[in-house]
Amino acid sequence: MSRPLARLVGARLLLSLLSLFAVSVIVFAVMEALPGDTAQRILGRDATAQSLAVLRAQLHLERPAVERYGEWLGGVLHGDFGTSLVARRPVLPYIAAHLGNSLLLAGIALVLHIPLAVGLGLLGAATRRDGPIDTAISAAALLGMSLPEFVVGIVLISILATTLGWFPPLALLDEAHSVGAVISTLFLPVLTLNFAMTAYVLRQTRNAMFDVLRSDYVRMATLRGLPRGHVLLHHALPNALAPAINAIALNAGWLVGGVVVVEVVFNYPGLGRLLVESISFHDVPMIQASALVLSASYITINLAADMATVLLTPKLRVN
Amino acid sequence: MSMDKPQTGAISRRLLLAGTAVLAATPRVFAAAATKTLRLATGEADGVKGTLDPAFGNNDNDAARASLVFERLVVPDPGFAPQPQLALTWTPDATGQIWTFALRPGVAFQDGTPFTASDVVYTYRRLVDPKLGSPAAAILSQVDPDGIRAVDDHTVEFKLRSPSVEFPLLIANRFTYVVKAGQTSEQLRTAGIGTGPFKVDHFVPGEEPSVYARNEHYWQPGKPKVDRVELRGIAEDSSRVAALLANQVDIVLELPVRSLQRLEGNKDVTIQSARTNAWFGLAAFSDVPPFDDVRVRQALKLVVNRDQYLKAVVGGHGTVANDTPVAPWQNYGLPDAPKPPDIAGAKKLLADAGHPNGIDIELYTSAADSGLLEVAALFQAQAAPAGIRVTINKAPAADYWSNIWLKKPFVVTSWNARAADEALALPFLSTGEWNETHWRNKEFDGLIFEARRTLDDAKRSALYQQAQHLLQQDGGAIILLYADTVGASRANVRGYRIHPQKINHDFSDVSIDD
Repeated sequence: MSRPLARLVGARLLLSLLSLFAVSVIVFAVMEALPGDTAQRILGRDATAQSLAVLRAQLHLERPAVERYGEWLGGVLHGDFGTSLVARRPVLPYIAAHLGNSLLLAGIALVLHIPLAVGLGLLGAATRRDGPIDTAISAAALLGMSLPEFVVGIVLISILATTLGWFPPLALLDEAHSVGAVISTLFLPVLTLNFAMTAYVLRQTRNAMFDVLRSDYVRMATLRGLPRGHVLLHHALPNALAPAINAIALNAGWLVGGVVVVEVVFNYPGLGRLLVESISFHDVPMIQASALVLSASYITINLAADMATVLLTPKLRVN
Repeated sequence: MSMDKPQTGAISRRLLLAGTAVLAATPRVFAAAATKTLRLATGEADGVKGTLDPAFGNNDNDAARASLVFERLVVPDPGFAPQPQLALTWTPDATGQIWTFALRPGVAFQDGTPFTASDVVYTYRRLVDPKLGSPAAAILSQVDPDGIRAVDDHTVEFKLRSPSVEFPLLIANRFTYVVKAGQTSEQLRTAGIGTGPFKVDHFVPGEEPSVYARNEHYWQPGKPKVDRVELRGIAEDSSRVAALLANQVDIVLELPVRSLQRLEGNKDVTIQSARTNAWFGLAAFSDVPPFDDVRVRQALKLVVNRDQYLKAVVGGHGTVANDTPVAPWQNYGLPDAPKPPDIAGAKKLLADAGHPNGIDIELYTSAADSGLLEVAALFQAQAAPAGIRVTINKAPAADYWSNIWLKKPFVVTSWNARAADEALALPFLSTGEWNETHWRNKEFDGLIFEARRTLDDAKRSALYQQAQHLLQQDGGAIILLYADTVGASRANVRGYRIHPQKINHDFSDVSIDD
């Protein structure tokens, strides 16, 4: 690892510890400010004065907020993320299982996303700017992004699952017993996610490509008589990738924790759904752990993206 | 609190391993092909909240789990008449205050232990124990813990705080599943042992599906008819329907009425529905202005056009209601047809009450249950011509039943189906825990209590009906409609009957054709 890269990583890691601490304080404070408490959310309509009192005592909800936060923080520093107030079981196995599911879905979605979005961006840039192909690609991608994910998801289910029967409508991972079955099970959610993600990366790639293609060194390469494909891929693309990488990183972060709607439509037990459900139950230890894991993955993804940008972009490598 | 490094390192390594194990998700080897699995789906996702403990069950998943693993002394049939399950017969004393239940002999728990009266005593004492904090204590307030005793191995006696002719139905509720004596709350949460047709095979709250296996000790010969049951909660309506169509589930316990057309005529799917007294309506605090004037409450009841709610809220799959929670076809139901709207009459009542220029009221609603938003929008439109200006306040769904309902003076509400006494008592008795209208009417209370101790059927019926008339004229609830309960199964599923009370299931007789 080169020295500037090492310095970048070191500084970022220090900063990210501070960010994680700040996240935990903010999340805890917000949950304290929200109306209602865990006992009310668990009992819901069945709550009686008696049952609320018993449950509050069992969950130690009466203790001051600062004390509860301090105890939680102390536990975390010892690697103990606490016990879910709702499940009454340790938080960590839940986080691990849901994070695993989210990473699996995100990973497969990215495998399709990166070549698809960058490829379409390149294709747009390779043809005439605002020509029929370029316009058609952009319009289709923007349409896919504009439709809410639950609409795309339900339409895909009704066509590809209910009518044609090619893929299962629900992504029931527990029933997929082979690699092929996992891919088939996750196909519809992955497709839905790509509808939402493609446009941004595609536009970034395309616009950066058009900028780079106008630069002197690319014209020079073209004038030297190099083949068009060679100029596009080897001369223009590497210097046009930086904005695309940042856009992909943004999408990757979203995939890990922000795809609640898709997780609900396909009944997929991901981290986003765990977080949202925990918020509705006021399950503070579960919320804290989910929020920390999500923040950590955002930080990691962004760091990885910055490193990739430095490594892949010739201009930055030289400097 | 020391920060010893090795421990932190060990934990992060464990976390990493756990993550990788999940990622690797090794294929599970499945049982022999002959295993028959019944796949159930409810319409509710309950996250990590799920429980098997009957004392704390509070959603459709909990209800389904309990009905797989446990049984009750008495179950309500579709017409809400009590039917024997773990009890064979029951008899009151001359006053209806002491009830004696003869238990079914030859029944064993899933671990082989014989079922006896001590299990029943343990179950009921546990439910009414204030230290347990079960919501059942409020429903079973007539049960005195010291009055529950085992007369012999197969006879249980309940001495009530006051006479109750309807006692057998009262204990046929969603909390009263009989658990094995001595099981703790921790054990019951995920590993309860009952006498039901299936035993728990794998249940971790928040992990789907939960899995149940055939109970080899089941007392009904030839049942259950499948080897395994898998239960999932699928909250998204269209996904649940798609899963049924794609044969990912065998039975959906709740079907959105707007999907019915899509499913009707599909030869792979059988739709089932049952009329119920599960009701939708509005609840006004009758001790808060302007609702503290009975004329205002009567005006609110006069402006509504009940037929329109039936279409807007449940797509016509229900019956109009007439400000009573007891449906006309139920025991003690009132036969009268609902009144048509009378805007002029409502205006006059408001003017008499000192509101010649109408009233401004705030109505709370939420997406907490499907249909609540539609009720609010329609009421706003229907009330406007009478000078009742309604501002709709839409509360967050997660917060509605815990922080808005019972706390705000005017809300949209809905109640599950119940037998007449419970349907009247829970929301409307002065002392009720869930008195959502703050209506405290001594005459009404007296009628219900008198009905409970009246052994003569005709006289008791007259008392329950008189109580309902009082509720209609004076109460703070505008009860608009009764919603049908609708479910569906794959066409090759036999023996499943949907019950009007959506918490009641019997999966012991369900089989799947090849």
